[in-house]
Amino acid sequence: MKTILSATAVALGLAAPVMADDITIGFAIAQSGWLEAYDTPATTAARIRIEEINAAGGLLGRQIKWIEADTKSDQQQSASAGLQLIDEGADMLVVSCDYDFGAPAALAAESEGINSFFLCAEDVKAGIQGVGPNSFSASVLAAVQGATMAEWSMAERDAKTGYVLLDTTIEYNKGICTGFDWMFPTAGGDIVGRDTFKNGDASIASQITRIKALPQEPDVIMLCSYIPGAASAVRQIRAAGINSLILNGSAVDGSYWLGATPDLSGFVVPVQGSIYGDDPRADVEAFNVAYEKATGARPASSYAYPGYVLIDLWAKAVERAGTVEGSEVTAELEKMTDEPTAFGPRSFSDELHHQNAAEMQIIEITNAKPAVVSKWAISKPVPLDVLLR
Amino acid sequence: MNNVAQLFFDAASLGGIYAMAALGIALIFGVMNLVNFAHGDYIAVCVFALIVPSSEAVAVMFLGHAPAVVLIPMLLGIGALLAMASEYVVFRHFRRADPVAMMIASFALGFVIQNGLLAVYGGRPKAISLWPDLNTPVAIAGASVPLLQVIVIVATLVVVCSLALLLKKTRIGLEMRAAAENFTMARLLGVRANVVITGAFALSGALAAAVAMIMVTQTGVADVRMGGQIMLVAFIATVIGGMGSLPGAVAAGFLIGAVSVLLQAFLPLDARPFRDAFLYTFVIVSLLLRPQGLFASNTSKPRV
Repeated sequence: MKTILSATAVALGLAAPVMADDITIGFAIAQSGWLEAYDTPATTAARIRIEEINAAGGLLGRQIKWIEADTKSDQQQSASAGLQLIDEGADMLVVSCDYDFGAPAALAAESEGINSFFLCAEDVKAGIQGVGPNSFSASVLAAVQGATMAEWSMAERDAKTGYVLLDTTIEYNKGICTGFDWMFPTAGGDIVGRDTFKNGDASIASQITRIKALPQEPDVIMLCSYIPGAASAVRQIRAAGINSLILNGSAVDGSYWLGATPDLSGFVVPVQGSIYGDDPRADVEAFNVAYEKATGARPASSYAYPGYVLIDLWAKAVERAGTVEGSEVTAELEKMTDEPTAFGPRSFSDELHHQNAAEMQIIEITNAKPAVVSKWAISKPVPLDVLLR
Repeated sequence: MNNVAQLFFDAASLGGIYAMAALGIALIFGVMNLVNFAHGDYIAVCVFALIVPSSEAVAVMFLGHAPAVVLIPMLLGIGALLAMASEYVVFRHFRRADPVAMMIASFALGFVIQNGLLAVYGGRPKAISLWPDLNTPVAIAGASVPLLQVIVIVATLVVVCSLALLLKKTRIGLEMRAAAENFTMARLLGVRANVVITGAFALSGALAAAVAMIMVTQTGVADVRMGGQIMLVAFIATVIGGMGSLPGAVAAGFLIGAVSVLLQAFLPLDARPFRDAFLYTFVIVSLLLRPQGLFASNTSKPRV
């Protein structure tokens, strides 16, 4: 009897440290409220990568487990969710997609010196500039998306005149238009007019009146907005008989909103990868299939992808650093230049924890059908002073 | 292009939407001194009633499939029922409470409705293409005007006129006006409080449904937060118009719509993102000049 007891004690004693030896990733994300629709897909993608790593033997020989706390789409709850996860032993924090909602949790991680990754923030503040030296985002900066649209439309669609329609509701939109405003004139284009609106506006009739008053319809309209305001603006622009090519940021990717403008054509979105099954890179489609297997449906937009990329990059940096200690992992991440991922190469530096240039797939919607028509990488990275405008 | 005519139509159609929403709020305030902040959420519910309840990203039309002759009365009915139900379940118990408590209750109700929608439909905005042909522009007086704008303007006028007729010519209308003037006295004189209040809620809910149909036709999207912005503007319109005054709410709704369109058209580009700041400055100035509102009703004046 005594031997059995002591054997059990030894077994328990051995088992406990093995459990504690797991690497823990904390997800301070919105599991309820309006932001849930954006956080869940990227979180699912992150877990797919975690399971792949665990299946291949884990990270530093240890399994990765995850813990979660609900921010309820609320900025105050975000901070307490972050603190709760750190108390529960998180080695790294993944925070909400949006800067404003992820930052409180990321700041909690920063104060403990551990790494934080935004699920898909595209504002330069979601990193060194806004949170601190150990914070990163795996997505592509909004300004890069706007600049990509500017350069691509001039090179491949012979665009010469552009009109900028900015939805001033959130910072992301301003980032898109900043990138377009920087690149379009630099590449020789002429911005013939600009206007602003708000995402919740019941009507943009006066903005449309202004576009129609131009002597000539612009070749392209750079629409810097997000759903639902973007869908509503497109419906009203097309209904008014304006046929310019409409350019957008990645935020309007996904075919779920196309019902708002039946038979839409001439609508272009830059994305990190195609959800429509036609991405030229086999890895992207393999991910789409894995995602469908995990959730029962393909991703609704390309915003699932950064979740996968962030775990991939962080795990590589941890492997190289040989530890999960924040500053050492940060140092390894900052050494990454054109690090290959399933969704294209990614780089970080000690100045910028974001992508200031990236190859993007160009999706065009023709007769309500989205398809990859091209790919484009801007000819020079967006400079830091433009990003900070 | 005739710019003045274009501006007129842009302003009148936006003003029409605001006026209808403001009317819905003013009606309730008139009979029971309640600022119903759940009104915006009635609008959202009516929009979501058009599609099949599901949290899938792609929306499938449900009521939206019905032809207009069926759809319009049905949606007006849903709006009315929802408003009457909220009166029965919530506000009836607050009859003797002070207006602040009622206002807080309306916030709470709005919160419950919004989260109910979130639970059923998910947080992602949905696309709804209701009557897309109505957005086709037609030429009127040298301006290019989407048919919907004309319909909004005409519908607002029809609603305002029929409401005026209802209030002037029918028994329930008379009772409502009496209740709005002095509720206690009206009850002493035999006005049926429950009928009047339920009637006001039904009308207010139907107006929310009308606003919902216009908004969804115009924008093509459904979002759980879509009622918030319009509710705010409508509330301000009822304040500027004079709390409880129906003509005041309509006039102020049109006024805010017109000022908003004019600011958008004439502000220099750098100032245009601050359009709403200018709009609310105008509101403050208007309230400084006429604190009781443009068309103050007798009840809001101190009776000493």
